[in-house]
Amino acid sequence: MSFGLSGAGGGDHRVLNNLDLEIQQGERIGLVGRNGAGKSTLLRIIGGIYPPAGGTVWRDPKKTVALLSIGLGFKGDLSGRDNALLAAMLQGMTRREAKQRLDAIGEFTELGEFFEQPVKTYSSGMRSRLGFATGLLLDTDILLLDEILAVGDQGFRQKAREALRERLAPDKTVILVHHMEQAIKEICHRAVWLEQGQVRDDGNAAEVLAAYSADANR
Amino acid sequence: MTVKQYISLMDTMARLSLKAEAQRYYLGYLWWVLEPLLWVGVFYVVFYELLGTRTPDFLMFLAVGKLMFIWFSKTVNYAGNSLMSNQGLIGRMDLPKSLFPMTVILECAYRQIAVFLLLFVLILADGVTPSWLWFWLLPLALVQLALIIFAGCVASVLVAFQRDFALLINLGTVFMMFVSGVFWDINDIVNESAAQALLTWNPIAFLLHSYRQVMLWGQAPDVAHLLVLGLLTFVAMAATLYLMGRYGPHLARRVVSA
Repeated sequence: MSFGLSGAGGGDHRVLNNLDLEIQQGERIGLVGRNGAGKSTLLRIIGGIYPPAGGTVWRDPKKTVALLSIGLGFKGDLSGRDNALLAAMLQGMTRREAKQRLDAIGEFTELGEFFEQPVKTYSSGMRSRLGFATGLLLDTDILLLDEILAVGDQGFRQKAREALRERLAPDKTVILVHHMEQAIKEICHRAVWLEQGQVRDDGNAAEVLAAYSADANR
Repeated sequence: MTVKQYISLMDTMARLSLKAEAQRYYLGYLWWVLEPLLWVGVFYVVFYELLGTRTPDFLMFLAVGKLMFIWFSKTVNYAGNSLMSNQGLIGRMDLPKSLFPMTVILECAYRQIAVFLLLFVLILADGVTPSWLWFWLLPLALVQLALIIFAGCVASVLVAFQRDFALLINLGTVFMMFVSGVFWDINDIVNESAAQALLTWNPIAFLLHSYRQVMLWGQAPDVAHLLVLGLLTFVAMAATLYLMGRYGPHLARRVVSA
């Protein structure tokens, strides 16, 4: 597939260029690469948010897919609770289902009384905690995670990784974009290294990450 | 997404947005009626007190026209920016793109309920007795809502393709205000065929005139014209919503890359 974006100044920027990738059910894949390599764009195309400019994306139509990223459209004047309600409904829950989950979300975020305060009073770490907690709600076949584990302090990040591992059934497919190698090694079996919109390396997670690190440190 | 989920999500987004907006201002929800009242006040001072317009019962005449027109103009302008102001969300989630202008339209419709109630109070206080003719207000409001949905959704798509349209749409609604009889009576147009043409081809002018016929002058609206306008508007609205659904992913790409 190929994908380009037209800039406001009239120029075109090719984000993905003749990229060819096959993913099997149940695989856990880490996407690595420098900023601008096309990782998040690839997730969005796989998630059906926008179509590729060229080529095709095929996904079993019976499988559900969800893209999780931090701070999904939070409204600063609304409380964490109201934003969590909105985020849950945006991800497919009914209003009743979302309301039933709110207390559990609030507990997971460890925000305490801040959960009832406007999000505009939150630090970036607090916003990230709320985004992660609401992002983990869905039970879909294909999970696309965009830096969702890069949240909060070290204690919360560990808790977040454990919560994610608990939710991952063997038949669930996961594609994780993360800048921390440790997170990818813990969760993923396979890693794909993107560079300039193409696959530079694809294989065992530890091996690909080692090659990527060596290249980055040159 | 099912229709039920869509409506529930749209309603929740609209209510929470109204809640967020009310929390930004000291007077909160009171602005729902205060802002339109102030607009009527400003126009009354200018056209009646300063310019000496001779339209009978001008305050009620103006109130009906201005309060109904604000519903159209404000909604279309806000809806026009709804896709671009939700770039982040559109770039992260596969949602029906019509959800964004529709949420804005629903927000404004909720506000308009309060304005309708205000208008009823003003008219009753002015000594007008409600009659069975007031039942015509429901089809008139529904046709206006369909027109707003059509215009708002089209505006949102145009602005997504080129931001300059936001300025043009704003100018367009100002132009509509001047040519739709908001603060002047179409019956005062000397040339009868010109007046008739205005009512025929300007749906806002026809709707404002019809609201006044029903609420102030004890007359029924032109039913045949209302039926034709209603049919055309509903078809246009349905077609627009269908096309936004059909080309949603392409619209998302356009919004994200803008």
